Amino acid sequence: MELTLNHFLFVSGALFAIGLAGVLVRRNLLIIFMCLELMLAAANLTLVAFSRYHLVDGQPAYDAHVLLFFIITVAAAEVAVGLAIIVALFRSKETTDVTQVSTMKY
Amino acid sequence: MPVYYLEFLVVALGLVMLMVDAFAKLEDKRSLARFGILGLGVVFLLLFLVEAPVSTEGAIWKFYSPADKLSLFFKGLALLTTILVLVMAVDYAPVVVAQTANPEPGAHPQSGLGEFFALPVFACAGLMWMASANNLVSIFVSLETVSITFYILVAYLRRNVGSLEAGVKYLILGALSTGFLVYGFAWLFGVTGSMELPAIAEALAKPGVNTTAALFAFALILIALAFKLGAAPFHLWIPDVYQGAPTPITAFLSVGSKAAGAIVTLRLVSPFLASPVLVAKVTTVLVAVAILTLLIGNLAALSQRNFKRLLGYSSVGHSGFLLMALASAPRDSADAMLPSTAIAFYLGAYLLMTLLAFLVLTSLRPVIAGEDLDAYRGLAKRSPFLAAALLVSMASLAGIPLTAGFFGKFFAFKMALDAGQWALLGVGLVAAAAGFYYYLKIAVSMYFSEPAKDSDAAAIRVNPLAGTAMGVLMVLIVLAGVAPGVIVGLFS
Repeated sequence: MELTLNHFLFVSGALFAIGLAGVLVRRNLLIIFMCLELMLAAANLTLVAFSRYHLVDGQPAYDAHVLLFFIITVAAAEVAVGLAIIVALFRSKETTDVTQVSTMKY
Repeated sequence: MPVYYLEFLVVALGLVMLMVDAFAKLEDKRSLARFGILGLGVVFLLLFLVEAPVSTEGAIWKFYSPADKLSLFFKGLALLTTILVLVMAVDYAPVVVAQTANPEPGAHPQSGLGEFFALPVFACAGLMWMASANNLVSIFVSLETVSITFYILVAYLRRNVGSLEAGVKYLILGALSTGFLVYGFAWLFGVTGSMELPAIAEALAKPGVNTTAALFAFALILIALAFKLGAAPFHLWIPDVYQGAPTPITAFLSVGSKAAGAIVTLRLVSPFLASPVLVAKVTTVLVAVAILTLLIGNLAALSQRNFKRLLGYSSVGHSGFLLMALASAPRDSADAMLPSTAIAFYLGAYLLMTLLAFLVLTSLRPVIAGEDLDAYRGLAKRSPFLAAALLVSMASLAGIPLTAGFFGKFFAFKMALDAGQWALLGVGLVAAAAGFYYYLKIAVSMYFSEPAKDSDAAAIRVNPLAGTAMGVLMVLIVLAGVAPGVIVGLFS
């Protein structure tokens, strides 16, 4: 069987959906954070697949790779800040459960 | 001077502030904020010296659009917002010190304060860059520069549970919207084969474009932008984050983040609106989002008791008016009003009136402990100046004639009228009427209620810097309300 663009799009779509479901369903902040990274990975896979699909002079469109590397960098920065905030929250509330973080209401 | 020097200068200013904070043993770190205000003021003046580039051949112009008046206007908005946020941050410094300073002996009594003044400067550089971004890569990176800085600033009061809670909520939902944004970008690249906005617009306008995939990309991007703009149904983070974040940062979020979201929305949605095959469906979606946002923002604000939450819902409502202008983009006539004009004016007016309200809020913080609306009863008897400032701000937010807010709403309504969007127009009128009630309720209680008995009129002191800023903003609001052409002339 030959691998086509569609296979990659299905896999990345599934990754995105799993990540989104995890963010919506799970209660632990760290796992939610992992699921967010999964969504970014899905976007990266889509970008690489499309860059192979849009050939420029017989070469993949490298513009997409530029965005991909920026996504990886930004995701790392986001994790650094995110984990710091989660650690600060854990120090004051001793929990990483999102249901416990709801003092503000309507 | 080439236009991109401005961002370099702002980043350099931020780095200098960090270095001074780290290595110069400052007695009082509030002087750092004054230095930042001065530096940003100089960059603001340099805005008027920007020259158009001789050639647009270089690599940078693939990521950065050459100076047009609209992007310069938005850069000016970003600089002005950051300057006023730093003015508020000076007043707010004691709270930050109490919540963050290192208690160990030998530590600087204001440790942790320097970064609170330096980070907004970096966010400002991101906002300015975003105004000129014309490539998916540069839009993404500038948007994230701003977002990540905001995550830190919202959760800055690390011993305050409210601030941390707001930080976590903003972080998770912000990162979620980033996920939607990049996945949407990936699909947009897949449909058009380009990262540059002009080429994307060209590819989308071709009759052979894959409409299903293009609309899928549009939906993903719109979800992400709705998060940034605070449009329904993705506005849920707004009230909590506004309430929990440090007050100057709430002001920065409500103006800076909204201006950034609006300009990115304008740039990303315009190619879809310019495509004859997609415009009908895209307009329907935008109208639906605008109606929902107008209703939810303005009706939920009616019952709020906390001032910062009220301003949060009001900011959702104002997003609705911005989307109203965007959804009513004219299809063909060349001389009709463009959504960019209405949106830029609205944001300019929104900046003036919202920052004025937040300046009053920070000045009153030492005397009014909470942010409960009852605390503002009889304010006119305790401090006529602050009451007058808040009155001007509330009148403008409500959209009373002779204020900047009136023409902001007027342009949005005019566009909807020209486009024949009757449903949008009707809902907009209901929303504006609700706005009159909840903004003027505050004004009435300030002027016609007796202050609480234990209140101390002498305790209200306005810092001269903040007082000057309030005076200037009041004058500008009235000026823009009497002669809107002055502001429109700045960007068109």
